[in-house]
Amino acid sequence: MIYLDYSATTPVSYDVIDTINKVTKEYIGNSNSLHSLGVKSSELLKSATDQIASILGVSSNEIVYTSGATESNNLALIGTALANRKKGNHIIVSKLEHPSIYAICNYLESLGFEISYVKNDSEGLIDFDDLKRLVREDTILVSICAVNSEVGIRQPLKMIRQIVKKENFGTLIHSDMTQAIGKVSVNLHDVDLASISAHKIYGPKGIGLLYKNSNVNIVPIMYGSSKGGNLRPGTPPLPLIAAFSKAIRLANVDLEKRERFITLLNEKICEQMKKFPHVVINKTKYSIPHILNISFMDVMPETLIHALEKKEIYVGTNTACSSGELSTSVMAIYNDLERAKHTIRISLSFMTTTDEVNKFLTILTEEYQKLAKLH
Amino acid sequence: MQKIVIIKYGELSTKKDNLNFFLQTLKQNIQELLKDLEVTVTNDFGRMFVESKEENFLKITERLQKVFGIHEIIVGYRDSSLDLNDICNQVLSLISDKDFSTFKVETKRSNKKFPLTSVEVSKKVGSFILKNKAGLKVDVKNPELLVNLEIRKTEVLYYGERIKGLGGYPVGTLGKGLLMLSGGIDSPVAGFMAIKRGIKLEAIYFESPPHTSIQAKNKVKMLAEKLVDYNGALKLHVINFTKIQEEILKNIPHEYLITIMRRMMYRISAIIASRRNCHILVNGESIGQVASQTLTSMKCINEVVKIPVIRPLACFDKLEIIALAKKIDTYETSILPYEDCCTIFVPDHPVINPSIQKAQEYEKLIPYEELIYEAIKTEEVINIDKLSSIEKYRDIL
Repeated sequence: MIYLDYSATTPVSYDVIDTINKVTKEYIGNSNSLHSLGVKSSELLKSATDQIASILGVSSNEIVYTSGATESNNLALIGTALANRKKGNHIIVSKLEHPSIYAICNYLESLGFEISYVKNDSEGLIDFDDLKRLVREDTILVSICAVNSEVGIRQPLKMIRQIVKKENFGTLIHSDMTQAIGKVSVNLHDVDLASISAHKIYGPKGIGLLYKNSNVNIVPIMYGSSKGGNLRPGTPPLPLIAAFSKAIRLANVDLEKRERFITLLNEKICEQMKKFPHVVINKTKYSIPHILNISFMDVMPETLIHALEKKEIYVGTNTACSSGELSTSVMAIYNDLERAKHTIRISLSFMTTTDEVNKFLTILTEEYQKLAKLH
Repeated sequence: MQKIVIIKYGELSTKKDNLNFFLQTLKQNIQELLKDLEVTVTNDFGRMFVESKEENFLKITERLQKVFGIHEIIVGYRDSSLDLNDICNQVLSLISDKDFSTFKVETKRSNKKFPLTSVEVSKKVGSFILKNKAGLKVDVKNPELLVNLEIRKTEVLYYGERIKGLGGYPVGTLGKGLLMLSGGIDSPVAGFMAIKRGIKLEAIYFESPPHTSIQAKNKVKMLAEKLVDYNGALKLHVINFTKIQEEILKNIPHEYLITIMRRMMYRISAIIASRRNCHILVNGESIGQVASQTLTSMKCINEVVKIPVIRPLACFDKLEIIALAKKIDTYETSILPYEDCCTIFVPDHPVINPSIQKAQEYEKLIPYEELIYEAIKTEEVINIDKLSSIEKYRDIL
């Protein structure tokens, strides 16, 4: 099997599975209980959170656990919107977001909030002038992903922060960092709120977090705790949290070294693809190497994916969360419908081997040429 | 170009004869703080330099913001070329991703052999930027972006982001002190203030199980952990106070409960301090805040020890203390609702103006010297270090 869909989800590392097992078996107490079993769990919970906070360079009380990035996005956007109604009802998002952001925006529109979509240039970079124009006195939130999930465009969040805060210091900045974490270094201090998920970094599915700067006030979107100030009620899922903490630690080892290796793999694939006249690579200078988006103009992406799957090679269409539709990100960058309809997404990992890439290229070339002849 | 962190010292520069000692202490503190990050720390008399891998810089600047003895932290670059064209191009590439409309170039030149004066360099670099980046203006009075460069003997330093340091003296330069740490808002702040003046702290905590819970003790450990950011590793001495407290409750008139209890705590603290070579006691008392912190109470309680007791918050208002607690991130922990030694068994009407004579008489009702001796035997020493609680779970996390 050759797995090249790491941006959809990653296999859980065996080390992380060990943690889930151990904690599930040995830490049975509810971390909110007063007795010693509860204390034992709450001490581990605290240390797991301290480790995450220390790696992300934030304070432990700025971390809110959620079920994953989609929930984090919900809490960030809806929680900010409802808490700041008196200040304004205007929210800005980019055209390169994960589908969950747009679904939340639709909901917020139904509540009377106004959503603006900031433009990007032909390289995928946020159009700073447009952003400057869009930020108003009643803009409460700007949400821009750190790394786009389909084309891998990395946004300069520091610059975006400078621009937004200069226009309106009270405007909060949220970033979906799901595709950035564990791949490239991020600075959480560039934003006020950030969404992160465990299952993209070799951790379990069902656990994520929202970073919320301690100076920022948002309201919960779920209720269930008598204690005030709890943004996300419910018994903390300790095995998942401990596993998440370990996954973050393991994912942040040798980031740069891993990125250099993945760049080589990425370039190797691009070299081969350039040989085909009807293949276009959707990559700009802002794309991270882990995500490689390619349009095969003369075959249907689904057909190609199933042909590869028969040879036990797994790649993705745009994002797993919106399969079957056209790639909104490729559309937003290149404004070319055909190109956006024909994309597949290859996502690479430090676990990918040169050998795997060689085999993949051989099989892809065969299958693609077979299918292209049919047209 | 090599990325580096440049550290400027604050008040240190006035310490003429001791300067070397202060610098060496600061350097050791920084090396200890960054030991997990593979850094090289070097210094001259004006500043310190930290070199490391790109991915560590964020962590380094975060942590340095909690180090006393630092006036300013600058993320900068060094380059060995002293060629003016190279200097111009380096500056241009460094400002390429910045959003600003006015700027000013400031040059320092310690290398007096460099052919241009600092003003001339600033002018040349400034006009080069104007030529190569559209829509900019020079503003010498109030520029949005200040471009700093420093021409040294063998290299040029380019300043990037500048972050204000904490000031104060390097921890340890003034010796050791023992902090009386409760779970409240005040004592961690008092500790922070003492550390600021170069005092390396150990801490003492009194527990009364089962009247006080393990959560209360964990809360104190959490507060101590927050202080570790500033103090470095910290020894927490936990004393079992149950027996003393119960004897006091049974035998001593209730209005004097707190007074006598505090006198016992002071005595025990003084003994631990002397054993640990701590020159002072530090606590979070603030004049008038509660019955035990009136001037007469302080006099009556302080009377039992010879060691100096420093009360950094003596003249602070509660709101000022809370603001500081929030700044050092201890407030949220301090307000967790667990009983500690000082909050259980509070009499309805504690004496506001206790008399020393009465206190001495009442104490004779219990065998306090023996009780103190017994309590000290229960001492548990917990080594609180950065992430030590995480290390404990290394097999899981």
